Amino acid sequence: MNPWFKQLGLLMQLSVADLWHDRKVSLCMAASLMAVIAPLLLLFGLKHGVVSQLQQELLSDPRNLEVKMLSSSHYDLDWLERLRQRPEVGFAIGQTRSLNTQADLQGERGRFADNIEVIPTQAGDPLLNTPLSAVQGNQVILSARTAERLAAKVGDNIRLRVVRRLDGVNERGEQTLQVQAVLEPARFARPAAFVSPELLLDLEYFRDGYRVPTLGSTSGQLLDSVKVGYARARVYAKDIDNVEALERWLNEQHVETSSRLAEIDSVKAINHVLGLIFGVIAGAALIGCIASLVGAFLANIDRKRRNLAVLRLLGFGSLAVASYVVLQALLLSAVGYLGGLGGYFAGSVLFDHLLGSSQATGTFICHITFGHGLTALLLAFLVAALVAMIGALRAIRIQPAESLREL
Amino acid sequence: MLDIKGLLVARGEGAQAHRVRLNELHLEQGEIRAITGESGCGKSTLLEAIGLLLAPQQLNHYRLGREAVDVRQLLAENQQPALAALRSRQLGFVLQNGGLLPFLKVRDNIQLPRRLLGLSSRSRAVEKAVEVLRLEPLLDKYPQSLSIGERQRVACVRAIAHEPQLLLADEPTAALDPHNAQRLFELLLSLVNELGLSALVVSHDWALIDQFGLPRLGAVNGEGETRFEPLV
Repeated sequence: MNPWFKQLGLLMQLSVADLWHDRKVSLCMAASLMAVIAPLLLLFGLKHGVVSQLQQELLSDPRNLEVKMLSSSHYDLDWLERLRQRPEVGFAIGQTRSLNTQADLQGERGRFADNIEVIPTQAGDPLLNTPLSAVQGNQVILSARTAERLAAKVGDNIRLRVVRRLDGVNERGEQTLQVQAVLEPARFARPAAFVSPELLLDLEYFRDGYRVPTLGSTSGQLLDSVKVGYARARVYAKDIDNVEALERWLNEQHVETSSRLAEIDSVKAINHVLGLIFGVIAGAALIGCIASLVGAFLANIDRKRRNLAVLRLLGFGSLAVASYVVLQALLLSAVGYLGGLGGYFAGSVLFDHLLGSSQATGTFICHITFGHGLTALLLAFLVAALVAMIGALRAIRIQPAESLREL
Repeated sequence: MLDIKGLLVARGEGAQAHRVRLNELHLEQGEIRAITGESGCGKSTLLEAIGLLLAPQQLNHYRLGREAVDVRQLLAENQQPALAALRSRQLGFVLQNGGLLPFLKVRDNIQLPRRLLGLSSRSRAVEKAVEVLRLEPLLDKYPQSLSIGERQRVACVRAIAHEPQLLLADEPTAALDPHNAQRLFELLLSLVNELGLSALVVSHDWALIDQFGLPRLGAVNGEGETRFEPLV
């Protein structure tokens, strides 16, 4: 007798020869698999494409991660540190009272920009999303609007000015800042200057009447007695899924907040609904596919009963005949899968071409990953093997003696 | 070569059971025996039992081949894998309608038993048989494009392809016209002679058997039982 792998090779050749000889019926069975696989892949591709695009949009806008603190209060450094330590938090930075977050800027070419929003930033700021956000006290990052108004470029030195009235005298504080970066217009729409938190605090102290040497002031109270405190914080969740928990925690701290939780939830809901719809359709299709395949398979085995009996007579064991049946099922499902994959690619190109350019739908994507394709292949094999098992159970009962009896 | 004593097989259950008895059969190398009897008397049942496809109810003695393998003991111990191996190695079957696999070319149909057993693809016996039967032009055809006579000739070659020791033919000429039937008989006889086989041929073509002067094993019908005995 042959070793098992030679026998398997022989079985493989016989399976292929049989399927090819009977190609009309084989094609029908492969087509019935393809008819299930192609639409399911397309449907899943659409679901995955739509959902991942929505999620991509959510992720690409850092404002979706932000939980805005609406009320002002007094938070010390400890509180801020505790906030930063929370697992939901990706980034948090203290902000001063909103009245004190404005300043006038003057560019190198003498252009002024009054009442520019001054926003603190620090390494890891998702709003800026650049390593340059780790600014020093004498550095600044400008929004596109500000840079335009000042006609400032990266590397320019600009002057920041604040005024206060102390004991009936108008005083001016001033510091020179070097432009580290200019943001893309889409990143931040309003005119703004991003500075280090220390500089922002200095601006507040200056306005509050303290002596702030970095701004060139020589009058006012000494800073020694001041305790660092913030009126609010700019807080970002670590990821989309943590926004809800972060907001809940802040609310428990009696902080009024607003966030884009509704948008996030709606994407999650869309994902859930589409997943459910896909699951039900896929289930229905699979059941129909399995039923039709079982029928086709059993009929096929009955049709080929004599051939199987002859194989048994020639010396193939019942296990070999069962593997013969299973091998054929796997071959058919591989062909069906490849056909289905081809159908999917054709369909997705059509979708992307016809719907992708439409304005109403925006960029429309039908997309599956390699992993999804592999899962589909394994599923197809699983279904085929399952169906073939039923056929194989019938096939192993075929006795070699049947080849002698005329039916 | 083939030595059987006290074989009893039953087909069917209870009152409807039909028993087939063979008291003694002895075949030497190169010997051929025809099994005759009317339809339904149990010729095929006997062939299945001798062909190790059907377990007998009683068996006193069964030795097969030049090595005189003790088949009775294998059957008694129900050693199915050993029996299946013995069947595929030592026995060659010619079926009524050829039993060729429709999806293999004639060449591959003939080669299949050899490939299954892991034998080399070249065989003097096969080459000779193909030549004698003038099957050369048919080798690359599929069975469906062959006439029934051609198919039976191919089936004969396939049955001896793995060089078995016992050839079992189940009404090989049933579907053939007299002329083709005669040629097939001639062929069977010459194969048996040249390869030194033993052969059992089930047939109800008495004229043909007489013409070739084959010794017969005839059915004697009794109550619910058929006995096969040598006829002169």
